[in-house]
Amino acid sequence: MSETHPESPGIEADGLKRAFGDVRAVDGVSFVAPAGAVTALIGPNGSGKTTLLLLLAGLLKPDAGRAAVGGFDLATHNLQARSRVGWMPDVFGTWDSLTCVEILATFARAYGIAKPEAERRALELLHKVYLDEFAPRPARVLSRGQKQRLGLARALVHDPSVLLLDEPASGLDPRSRIELREVLRDLAAQGKTVLVSSHVLSELEEVYDHAVFLSQGRTVELATAAQPASMSRGWRLDAIDPVALRTFLDDADIPWQPGAGGEVVVQLASYESAAELLHAAVAAGVLVHTVAPLSGRLEEAYLSLDQERV
Amino acid sequence: MNTWSLSWHGLRTVVSLELRQRIRSPRWMVALAAWFVLIGGITGLVIYSMSYLYGDRGYASEYSAGPLAFGIITMFVLGMGLMIAPAFTSTSINGDRSSGTLATLQATRLSAFEIAAGKLIAAWLAAAVFLVVALPFIVWTMVLGWISIWQVAVCFAVVFALVAVVCAIGLGWSALIQRTAGATVMTYLSVVLLSIISPMVMVLSMPFTLEETTYKVWGLPESVSNAYYDEVNRYWEQHPDGDGSGLPAPPVGECTWTEQRYENYRTDRLWWLLVPNPFVIVADAAPLPDVARDRLDTYVNMSSDPLAGIRLGVRSMAIGPELVRDDCIWLYNELGYNVDWNEDGTPNLTTQNGTPVPYDSPVPQRTVDAGSPVWPWGLGVNLAIGVVFFWVAVRRLAIPYGVLPRGVRVA
Repeated sequence: MSETHPESPGIEADGLKRAFGDVRAVDGVSFVAPAGAVTALIGPNGSGKTTLLLLLAGLLKPDAGRAAVGGFDLATHNLQARSRVGWMPDVFGTWDSLTCVEILATFARAYGIAKPEAERRALELLHKVYLDEFAPRPARVLSRGQKQRLGLARALVHDPSVLLLDEPASGLDPRSRIELREVLRDLAAQGKTVLVSSHVLSELEEVYDHAVFLSQGRTVELATAAQPASMSRGWRLDAIDPVALRTFLDDADIPWQPGAGGEVVVQLASYESAAELLHAAVAAGVLVHTVAPLSGRLEEAYLSLDQERV
Repeated sequence: MNTWSLSWHGLRTVVSLELRQRIRSPRWMVALAAWFVLIGGITGLVIYSMSYLYGDRGYASEYSAGPLAFGIITMFVLGMGLMIAPAFTSTSINGDRSSGTLATLQATRLSAFEIAAGKLIAAWLAAAVFLVVALPFIVWTMVLGWISIWQVAVCFAVVFALVAVVCAIGLGWSALIQRTAGATVMTYLSVVLLSIISPMVMVLSMPFTLEETTYKVWGLPESVSNAYYDEVNRYWEQHPDGDGSGLPAPPVGECTWTEQRYENYRTDRLWWLLVPNPFVIVADAAPLPDVARDRLDTYVNMSSDPLAGIRLGVRSMAIGPELVRDDCIWLYNELGYNVDWNEDGTPNLTTQNGTPVPYDSPVPQRTVDAGSPVWPWGLGVNLAIGVVFFWVAVRRLAIPYGVLPRGVRVA
């Protein structure tokens, strides 16, 4: 399409503010979420995540600041911006009498897609979120997790270039969470901008490329947000023979501290370092059975936000 | 933004969504069936009770029970239409908001206008189904009542329009008030205000319009009149069992202009309160049968047509009290002549055996003008109210939201 602006296709927010009465829900948010990446939106309850997503979905007018999604300014080109955004609210209501396929087809048509194409698209998406069998059944029979998956399909119905997902993992079983992760990675690989908020930090840990931290309605600059993959952190290692492991680490000149039990803790810079270490240890005949990060980087960052809150 | 943009595609999407939502619910068929039975029962009762009341005359001509039955059923269908229409829209926007389906729809390419118009059209179509279900019974009274199909068509078109107005009012309230129960109450109150409270206010305000007015009367001067009636009384004292053959002749030749003062209700100052009343609008819009077209008041007196009665009432109220009167002509009545009026309001005197008597009254009989309808004004006022409420609904659906009304959550 000629309207697209490929040079700035992600999300740009600059000094966004929005108050409800005297509650300043969003009070100065600036960040850039690039295309082709998953950006995590992290903050405690009441930090303004949902309001920020409403602003970016074009539903709320900011009191100050500006934002653009998919290359369109929300203030001047609201409709074009809206057409490029797939917004998944934290609570997704459905029409009781409509079947799942009708709900998705209705939304597709609301985005201007012709009827036969809308139905084809609806079935395709139901397949993608593993709800094929529910296609002809009303959405009210869905469980919370299934409803959440239908909500994700709904957000994808018009093939948006920007996705705003508000707590997409809540209510999902472990298997669905892994599937959600794959869907998000897939979308990013297709060049879409994915902004996802979640309380379940371990979910985001595995999937995010960038992080935006919110505290009291403001973006907070944290080192983890800028370079999440290059910051070193503690990894827990354990082997069948703990002594062999320690000898191996000493030989390789890798500093370690003893952890709780027989395990050791080493500082590693990235996933790649961890993989290399594991490879070398196994090659040296050390039978490693555990390699795991001590805690999530996001968790660490989140806790530092929590301190700020006090 | 695209608040006011309208596309056929978008409108159809919302209408079909809303209709599917309503018609699939099992309550829908139950409500329709109950409505069919109710209106059928009422129609049967009305028709039977009218024929009981009118006895042999039954439904024999346009002056018998038919127009009354048709009028009652039309008013009943209108009343029920006004009662059910709020149910279709008064929870339409706030209900969607609380069930979490509104914001996701607003976030699509649909404009606020498309969403509001789609909801209004779907609600109106649903309400129209109820009116259509009542149609067989309307046709039944139409056939029995010598009612023209033209009258039925006009009555129905006006009822459809009024129901659309109530749907728009409900839509506006559902956008303004966050609680569904509150919006429903306000919609019903609006309907009650238009249809019940406005005539109540009018009737209760009547005493304030009481006014002494001077009449010009064409009749006997007081002295002549007193002398004449003294003579009449004397005759009856002398002939208590008389047949009236020797009665003195009224001195009609001495008729002249006099002035008299009476207290009068100035209905012409209050009648406008009835103009936006839905029942008045339908009654006033209903085309009259041919027999009534020339003389509305004669038709109303002879027939039992409630629609024509309301029309005559409203239009005479608008004219106000008559300030000129011909008393003299009633003296001719006492002389044994037949008194009647022509279409143009001039009196028509005939003897018992039908010979015309020349009489030149300076006071033309007032005729209520059947050709100056009030219903276009009433319908216009109603449509304007509907447009305002619809506009409110669109404004309240427009995104991005600036100031959020109290208690409203976007999603």
